[in-house]
Amino acid sequence: MSTATRAVSVETEKKIDALLTKYPRKSSALLPALYAVQEEHGWVPEEAQDFVAGKLGVSPAFVAGVVSFYTMFHRKPVGRHHFQICRTLSCMLRGSHEVMARLEQKLGIARGAVTPDGRFSLQFVECLGACDTAPCAQVNDDDVPLLDAAKVDELLARLK
Amino acid sequence: MPEPTQPPPPAKPGSAPAAAPAIELPAAGPDEVALLVDERPVVVKKGTSVLQAAERLGIAVPHYCYHPGLTVAGNCRMCFVEIEKMPKLQIGCATQAMQGMVVRTANPRVKAARESIMEFLLINHPLDCPICDQAGECRLQQYANAYGRGESRFVEEKIHHDKGVPIGPRVVFDGERCIKCTRCIRFCDEVSKTHELGLFERGGHAIIGTFPGKSLDNDYSGNTVDICPVGALTWKPFRFQARVWFLRNVPSVCTGCARGCNVELAVYDHRIHRITPRRNAAVNDYWMCDLGRQTYEKLYDRPRLERPAVRAAGAAAPAVLPSPEAVDRAAALLRETVTRHGAASVAAIVSARLTLEDLFMARQALRQAGITRVVVPPHESGEDDALLLRRDKTPNARGAELVGFGRPDAAATAKLAGDIAAGHVHGLVVVGEDPVGDGVLKADRLATIEALVVIDAWQTETAKAAHVALPATGPYEADGVVVNFQGHAQRLRRGVPAPALAEPSWRWLRELGRRFGLAGSWTTASAVFDQAAAELKPLASLSWRSLGGDGHRLVSTEAGPVSGAPAGTQALEP
Amino acid sequence: MAYEKLLLKNVGRDDSHTLDVSLAGGGYQALKKALSGMTPEAVLEEVKASGLRGRGGAGFPTGMKWSFLPKLGDKPRYLCVNADESEPGTFKDRLLIERDPHLVLEGIILSSFAIHCHTAFFYIRGEFQKGARIFEQAIAEAYAKGFLGKNILGSGYDLDVLVYRGAGAYICGEETALLESLEGKRGLPRIKPPFPAIVGLYGCPTIINNVETLANVPFIVERGAGWYNGIGRPKNTGPKLFCISGHVKKPGVYEAPLGIPFKELLNEHAGGMLHPDRPLKAAVPGGSSMKVLPAARCDVLLDFDSLAAAGTMLGSAGGMVMDSSTCMVGALLNLAEFYEHESCGQCTPCREGTGWFTKILHRLEAGHGRKEDPDLLIDVAKRVEGNTICPFGEAIAWPVQSYVAEFKSEFDDHVTKGACPFGGAAKRG
Repeated sequence: MSTATRAVSVETEKKIDALLTKYPRKSSALLPALYAVQEEHGWVPEEAQDFVAGKLGVSPAFVAGVVSFYTMFHRKPVGRHHFQICRTLSCMLRGSHEVMARLEQKLGIARGAVTPDGRFSLQFVECLGACDTAPCAQVNDDDVPLLDAAKVDELLARLK
Repeated sequence: MPEPTQPPPPAKPGSAPAAAPAIELPAAGPDEVALLVDERPVVVKKGTSVLQAAERLGIAVPHYCYHPGLTVAGNCRMCFVEIEKMPKLQIGCATQAMQGMVVRTANPRVKAARESIMEFLLINHPLDCPICDQAGECRLQQYANAYGRGESRFVEEKIHHDKGVPIGPRVVFDGERCIKCTRCIRFCDEVSKTHELGLFERGGHAIIGTFPGKSLDNDYSGNTVDICPVGALTWKPFRFQARVWFLRNVPSVCTGCARGCNVELAVYDHRIHRITPRRNAAVNDYWMCDLGRQTYEKLYDRPRLERPAVRAAGAAAPAVLPSPEAVDRAAALLRETVTRHGAASVAAIVSARLTLEDLFMARQALRQAGITRVVVPPHESGEDDALLLRRDKTPNARGAELVGFGRPDAAATAKLAGDIAAGHVHGLVVVGEDPVGDGVLKADRLATIEALVVIDAWQTETAKAAHVALPATGPYEADGVVVNFQGHAQRLRRGVPAPALAEPSWRWLRELGRRFGLAGSWTTASAVFDQAAAELKPLASLSWRSLGGDGHRLVSTEAGPVSGAPAGTQALEP
Repeated sequence: MAYEKLLLKNVGRDDSHTLDVSLAGGGYQALKKALSGMTPEAVLEEVKASGLRGRGGAGFPTGMKWSFLPKLGDKPRYLCVNADESEPGTFKDRLLIERDPHLVLEGIILSSFAIHCHTAFFYIRGEFQKGARIFEQAIAEAYAKGFLGKNILGSGYDLDVLVYRGAGAYICGEETALLESLEGKRGLPRIKPPFPAIVGLYGCPTIINNVETLANVPFIVERGAGWYNGIGRPKNTGPKLFCISGHVKKPGVYEAPLGIPFKELLNEHAGGMLHPDRPLKAAVPGGSSMKVLPAARCDVLLDFDSLAAAGTMLGSAGGMVMDSSTCMVGALLNLAEFYEHESCGQCTPCREGTGWFTKILHRLEAGHGRKEDPDLLIDVAKRVEGNTICPFGEAIAWPVQSYVAEFKSEFDDHVTKGACPFGGAAKRG
């Protein structure tokens, strides 16, 4: 396979190879392998799903079924700063819908979309298990507690 | 979310069931259990499900996802039954029958649960029935009638999915009709082992599909259509061809290869519209291949030989003669050739696609006519696979061997072709074969043949060159017996009528034989078979009637059932 | 007498997640005690005698769960730690994982020892990236110190602990869905029986325990079942982490003995209602799957049996508090949307029922309700309940039934007024 058409980089492939023997059964490597793909691409392209299927000896349909089951595997590119706002009860009670409205207005996109410059994407997610900091969010891997309008503005100004 | 209920503490050894059932249970053997289903006792093998135990009593427990040829998924929840001492209803498919169990399959609680499941399945199901090919054999329709509430309380917008998706070259998928029972996925994972299908998304948006850019394209894809309990998967060649309630299903045997899968011929208006598998644990279990499903198309895709045709020497067009005269002419030509060149200069090519009756009568007639050189050409393609498909594409090679022609033989066929080309053969009888069309013989090499008699269903290249061509019935147009590669003798049943003047090959051969003094007045295939059974040792003790629907294994040289389901267990509703 | 904090004893300290802080606070003393002088069976008996009940949701006795394992055979036994904390309103395990991972890890090692397990999995929900990082560090520290790996503390006992990250699916908190996910599949709950103790991960005997449950084990081993029994109430023993969120002044995780009054948690720990002029309207003491209690019935003790007697459950102790400004139709709609989104879609009643609830509630909240809708919600919920493969069915059926039944007049108001009296539909955006 030429470099130009590789589904994943050599480094990612090495990571996946290591995962194949990390668990008592090879099948368990699937979720970690998909994470490795997402770490490289920012999402999990179909070609990479096919590639992972080959590595694990399962069908591509099986892998695609797994990818589509878990909300954290992105099936299309997301923004450089991926905003995930918790929408579930405790956060709703503390104003998560207002936070989302503010973000939509400031970014000029609807939830589920990516800004045209690819900087931001916006998503409502279910309970993040941080209800003590409601309304809470995650931006990429980082927890963002106690959001309000001012904090939204400050955050958007800070993130490039 | 609450954690699942925990297992009960291990039972103390020797502890008796709390309340003895009012009806005494029969004694069960060491690997059996006795239980009560709807007040009726039944003894089943350990490991049998409650659903199967009920079926043993003739009690149908409605179900969608359970299929006896697949692993248990337990997702549709339609087969709920009540079991004494268990607080929740249990699904019959995934609950093992245990000693002393008291099962109720139709009390008000069970009926209420079924009604609930029906309602859930229907809320997002489109009202496609008027244009759905499954209508009439749809389990949703069937069960809605039997177990549904008869009205809808759902006033919301239904969930939408793509419809009419060509999920494979021969199968069409309707995402809105799908009830996510996963039978099709399990078939591709467990039986065809081709793994094209998967379940995508989750919740109400869960949907069956293939990986992007891939297709449901395997040799057995049609089985997903058969086992789909609803109209989500339909068979492309059958779409919008006929309403199923107009179809007459004739039990028969597939003629596509040496497996001889047991099938149903779906007939409407004197035409076969569909072939689906009929369960036979000893031959094909619940399945058949896609090629077999399309074997009837041969009947309609090339011109048939409609009437006896006799071509005079030098005449451009053949003349049509009444049947007896045509046979007279054939016999006369063969006799003259024998007289002129000797019996050794006359040969026959007979087909392993013919029935045992055809082959037996060919043997009788040719012997009577003094023709001893008979070859059976092979028809092979592909390889034997792990499931059903055979490289040998003839349904009756073992039958040809049984009557004494030997198995299909490429070398003998080639030798004969060489002798014909070299001008050593002057008379040739061809039954059910097209050596010219198949490229075995070149038409211009037939010049030295003075008597070419062809019995065939189609206007083949060979038939066109014949001095006498006699119209035969095609596949599924006549009764007869075939013997599959395992030595399983089974009855083909006629599904559709042949053209008016066509006769089964054995009748033409009987007539031809009579011209040479063959005695005997068989008028039915069954009479011919019984005669064959009387003469051929492997068929001894068999009769036409004794073959029944499932056939009879003559010699068990090959492995038995093709899948795990025990032979002889017929599911009430697969 | 002031209550001595156990589970959260280190949590206030700086660098509480490090091994040094753990050791300084007496960490791994129980492990040393067990490995130097106790048999696995003795540890199991101690846990059994302590009366420890699972902190994940159902409150099943932990020691009894362990005793369902079949006799030791050829197959390995696995411990899977359920760190898939996803029940709305619940964030206690996250605190333990991020702030005192060594307490959890010590519990894991002790429990693995008790059940003869040599490979334990720490299944943590994908969104807890920080927790996964911290726990990986803690594991590395423990290996370096000889608390993990081969021949732990010279005892001859071997154990490896592997962190496995989920990827966004509430259902994976259901123990058999967790196993499927850990095997690299869609997280579809399995049909039971067989139970995981018999046929679990990779077909081997497996125990699945919640994070907080395991964090109790070091105290039981170190101080004994008799001491542990003295905390809490009969059959509801031990310390408990209570989450409280929603309309309260100080949302958070608070430790108290099982059986503290809800009002004490609300008023003394959580500082009372957020807005002084908006009184308590309703509370869910146990996490979103549990039945809601109207304010008038909130004088309850927070333990397994008291809450069961009150018609709800302790669940994961994810308390959510709603004040008088809350529209109960909107609150239930919010939860219904959660369950619709999180239903795995495997079995019919849940797959179809969750979406149906959402659609009816949307109509009600938008002012297009019909007078039969509240009763329809309850009837459909009854048809989901008890008919599903896993307890997810109850997890949506119970809130639907209780919100509608307890606040029927509010649902009816939405119908008769043709709008949400709280302006809810507009507020939701």
